[in-house]
Amino acid sequence: MIELINITKIYDLNKNDQVVALKDINLSINEGELIILKGSSGSGKSTILSLIAALNKPTSGEVTVDTKKISKLPDNFASMYRRDNIGFIFQKYNLIADISVKENILLPLIPLNPDTGELDEKLNIVMEKFKISHKKETLVKNLSGGEQQRVAIARANVNNPKIIIADEPTANLDEKLSLHFIEILRELKKAGKTIVVATHDPLFFDLDFVDREIQVSNGTI
Amino acid sequence: MILIPEVLTILILNVIFTLFSVIAFFLSLKIFLKWDINSNSTLQYTLEKQSYLTATIIKYIFIIKVPLFLFFIFTLDKISNILTGAMCGAGVVDATDYGNYLFVLKIINLYIFAYWLALHSEDMKHENQPYTKAKFGFFIIAFFLFISEIVVEGVMFSSIDLNEIVSCCGTIYSSSTGSYISQIFAMSPTLLLSMFYGIFVLLLIFYFLKRNYAFAISNILFILISIITLITFFGTYIYELPSHHCPFCFLQSDYYYVGYLLYTLLFTGTFYGITSGFINTSDTNRMTNYKKSILFNFLYIALVSFYPLSYYIKNGVWL
Repeated sequence: MIELINITKIYDLNKNDQVVALKDINLSINEGELIILKGSSGSGKSTILSLIAALNKPTSGEVTVDTKKISKLPDNFASMYRRDNIGFIFQKYNLIADISVKENILLPLIPLNPDTGELDEKLNIVMEKFKISHKKETLVKNLSGGEQQRVAIARANVNNPKIIIADEPTANLDEKLSLHFIEILRELKKAGKTIVVATHDPLFFDLDFVDREIQVSNGTI
Repeated sequence: MILIPEVLTILILNVIFTLFSVIAFFLSLKIFLKWDINSNSTLQYTLEKQSYLTATIIKYIFIIKVPLFLFFIFTLDKISNILTGAMCGAGVVDATDYGNYLFVLKIINLYIFAYWLALHSEDMKHENQPYTKAKFGFFIIAFFLFISEIVVEGVMFSSIDLNEIVSCCGTIYSSSTGSYISQIFAMSPTLLLSMFYGIFVLLLIFYFLKRNYAFAISNILFILISIITLITFFGTYIYELPSHHCPFCFLQSDYYYVGYLLYTLLFTGTFYGITSGFINTSDTNRMTNYKKSILFNFLYIALVSFYPLSYYIKNGVWL
């Protein structure tokens, strides 16, 4: 259960150019739900995602995940929370271009220092699931946009996180690849993941497996 | 003012430390007064960010400052080469009215800084940062001692007169002077040594009984008796001179700089012992600190005991 309670987020607080990204919002997301946050650019969607992922802290209010107050976590504990609970799919994938697909996918596991057998097992599961096994040793810079996104999804799932967060995941994809991504989301939802997607792509609207669509505008929902 | 490169280094570092510690002091004051971990207000989130910055500033000042104590001793030794009459750091310490105060202040601060670092380290191990208020409150007190040390240090270096002849350690640590040092020399070596080894046995007993405060207090006693026995007894075997009681000369190359090793072992061992008694940490951490304390203290004992034993084996007599 994710809860955002009276969240306000102001960037560059007390400066002349301060930006109010979120204004006293409240939001509850149940375990296993798939939520679409829709709204125009700058409406506050990405800020909500970054707060759930503990990449950012609110200016006031509280974010809790399974009763854990994640907005109060010190940096080192926030990193552990992300490592153990969050799979983040970024708009521009945020992959490392000069290393292989395999190395990119395994990055989140490195701090856990698992043995080689465990690494291979987890790698093979996600590579097969997201159909990227044939590109295992290929450098990421040599992949197409769709392949890069599958690598990003595989990386987000390699830790088997319970929460998947996707920020404008289809912004760089054509319609066919976007529909493929939506199918992947359906599978993840079936697998019981809690999923929060921020998008303004109309392909995501009115999907049968989406639990809720939430309109975000000018920092309010 | 004496301006050799080592003194200049210390003075420049002191200016930098002062600047950053003043910033850290005002932020610490704000955090100490307004910290409320349960609050979700803008102020609390701002304080949480600032606490990270402030703790980082303090941490790096203290991390540099703790080993700088050895550099300070090294500097005293360097100054003794150009100060007429001084044979080692002791003469430099005694050359002004401030030297002894500075030295005592530095030793106290050494433990205070190290304790703050231990407190901070423990605080960062917990999600709810239980020691945040305490560690910034503690820094507020430490800040005044820290600034006092910097001021006294500056005054001491500026007061050293190269044209004045100072006493050498042979005079300062002589049993014939009427100082408190001569009263220590009057004590029976057998009694002092019994106390020295006896307190270490007490440390072992409290370690096995897991008595935190008793272990910490025994460590405080251990450092005091260690310094006294080092001056009155063990030092004489390092020098192989029964009349020489200087706590500085064995920091010189003639004695293979063994003093640096001795003081490092003693300060490290007693530090772990003292902090493990006064910080409420997990049993695992406490036991690790206990073991470190016992290990370093034992190495200190083994090293100082080596000198009289080897002297006796070589010569068949005690000094």
